[in-house]
Amino acid sequence: MKLADLMRLALSRLGTGKMRTALTMLGIIIGVASVVALVSVAQGATKGISDRLQSLGTNLITVSPGFTRTGATRGAIGTATTLTLDDANSLAQLDGVQYVAPELTTNKLIVVGSLNETTRVVGTTPGYLSVFAYQMWVGSFLNAASVDHNLRVAVIGATTADNLGLTESSIGSTILVGGLPFELVGILQPKGGSTTADDQVVIPLSTAHELFVGSNSVSAIGLSATSQDAISTVSAEITATLEQRHGITNGVDDFSIATQAQLLGTVSSVSDVLTLLLAGIASISLLVGGIGIMNIMLVSVRERTREIGIRKAIGARGRDILSQFLVEALALSLAGGVIGIGVGIVASFAIGTYAGWGFIFSPVTVVVAVGFSLLVGIVFGVWPASQAARLDPVVALRYE
Amino acid sequence: MSAAPGEPIIKLEEVSRIYDTGKVQVPALVDVNLDVANGEFLAIIGPSGSGKSTMMNILGCLDRPTSGLYVLDGQPVDELSDDGLAFVRSRSIGFVFQSYNLLPRTSALENVATPLMYQGVGRKERLRRAQSALERLGLGDRLSHEPSELSGGQQQRVGIARALVTEPALILADEPTGNLDSHSGAEVLDLFKDLHALGRTIVLITHDTDVAAAADRAVHLRDGQLQAAVPA
Repeated sequence: MKLADLMRLALSRLGTGKMRTALTMLGIIIGVASVVALVSVAQGATKGISDRLQSLGTNLITVSPGFTRTGATRGAIGTATTLTLDDANSLAQLDGVQYVAPELTTNKLIVVGSLNETTRVVGTTPGYLSVFAYQMWVGSFLNAASVDHNLRVAVIGATTADNLGLTESSIGSTILVGGLPFELVGILQPKGGSTTADDQVVIPLSTAHELFVGSNSVSAIGLSATSQDAISTVSAEITATLEQRHGITNGVDDFSIATQAQLLGTVSSVSDVLTLLLAGIASISLLVGGIGIMNIMLVSVRERTREIGIRKAIGARGRDILSQFLVEALALSLAGGVIGIGVGIVASFAIGTYAGWGFIFSPVTVVVAVGFSLLVGIVFGVWPASQAARLDPVVALRYE
Repeated sequence: MSAAPGEPIIKLEEVSRIYDTGKVQVPALVDVNLDVANGEFLAIIGPSGSGKSTMMNILGCLDRPTSGLYVLDGQPVDELSDDGLAFVRSRSIGFVFQSYNLLPRTSALENVATPLMYQGVGRKERLRRAQSALERLGLGDRLSHEPSELSGGQQQRVGIARALVTEPALILADEPTGNLDSHSGAEVLDLFKDLHALGRTIVLITHDTDVAAAADRAVHLRDGQLQAAVPA
């Protein structure tokens, strides 16, 4: 039999019992819709998290000092002051490093008129803006001259500006940092997500060294690699350079390196598990839908025994009957799958909009869902169809 | 594969059909010998329980003899596979049933075209041939009617159109008038006579000697055995 004939038979059959067809498909519709929607939710949640990670800085690598050791007690990472400005300058020479931002972090009281706040003060270089992916809201960021000449200028975070009542018109005014007057030259755009990233005062590194910390050390060095792929190579180069500079030969480093890739890797492995889990749960409903199709097909074979007998009498072979019933089961599951995808997309859109990560549509999921519903149709359609094909025409014709 | 001129369309030699129920063996047909010539109109008459249905199933290639030889249209069919039998049914036999056996919720046109679908004939061609078969039987204005919208006589004529549409070597009718009133029954028998006049080979199975009178030869079936041919 030709495929067109089989499809015409299946469609006319499904069209004659619309209510039954709809109810039979419902299981598949729900199954496919939940697979599509839940995978979209899992991917949306993952995207939300990675977006926040990306907002910390593009291709970010952070080098922190090692720990101090007091007798047998090991201190936390970053408690030692082993990193220096010279380290930062030598790392800037490495291939694959795009921007470098040595940071010297202290906490100081900031006073503007009658308002005051104690917050993080970061001494750094112009590279800071790019390394940590900040954008200016108004004014300008630190320039090379301000670092070269220990200028008393400050750029503040959006939250700090809010807290201290500073606005566009405050650019050029004077604020007190740790009791010393600084000229406000710029305000950063808020990043959202983490408030600590937006609550800070950024001043030239040289100024911070001169006024607040009387040594050459830095609290951390932020770097951005030229590309995501370069991160691991650059990390290795940084390790080699710093080990050489610090005279470390036994492999016990006095610094540690954290990359965004590590974080992203963790997030994506967690989200893969989450996606699999959700898809797995949703697949159970597909399975149930498939059993529903098998049930209806078995009933249908029983009801149509006489029709099968007639068809065989007028020349249908077993495989013609098999194909007819199989195509019917496939049409049911495929139609259910297509409707389910529609419902799933609408649901993903609604959830994504509500949760704020936008609409995430994965063509792979759709292909997999359609493939799966076809598979369900075949697996659960074959048995009823072969029952039909094996009917003895003599018995089937006599069936009332 | 077609029977040579003068050769019988149907040749049964010592055909038996025994139903094995496990404990007892029930003989439904015993050593039946029968020749039906090309173009003949034969009636097989028998009361219920005489083996009529078994005869019809064997002749119609729906069932195989337990023993014996059956040659249909030059083709020995007693040892064919299920698919082989389906092929013979599709090419060589047109069934007309007592209860019409039309496909439900399917138009007269589609019903008549269905045997051609199993022959692999293209849709346009088979609808054309189905329409012309229905028109020949005076059902040109009933093409899109479903069986439930047709009278018994009309349904049986659709059934005959379906049997004719493949131009089979043999038309096998099983009590074709059994469910019809006498008027429609007479019309159907006239149809068979017309078809016979056009050269068709027809085997009509019935319990009714009046119906059998339409045929030009009749044989009697009793307790699974053919009685000597009795002229009608």
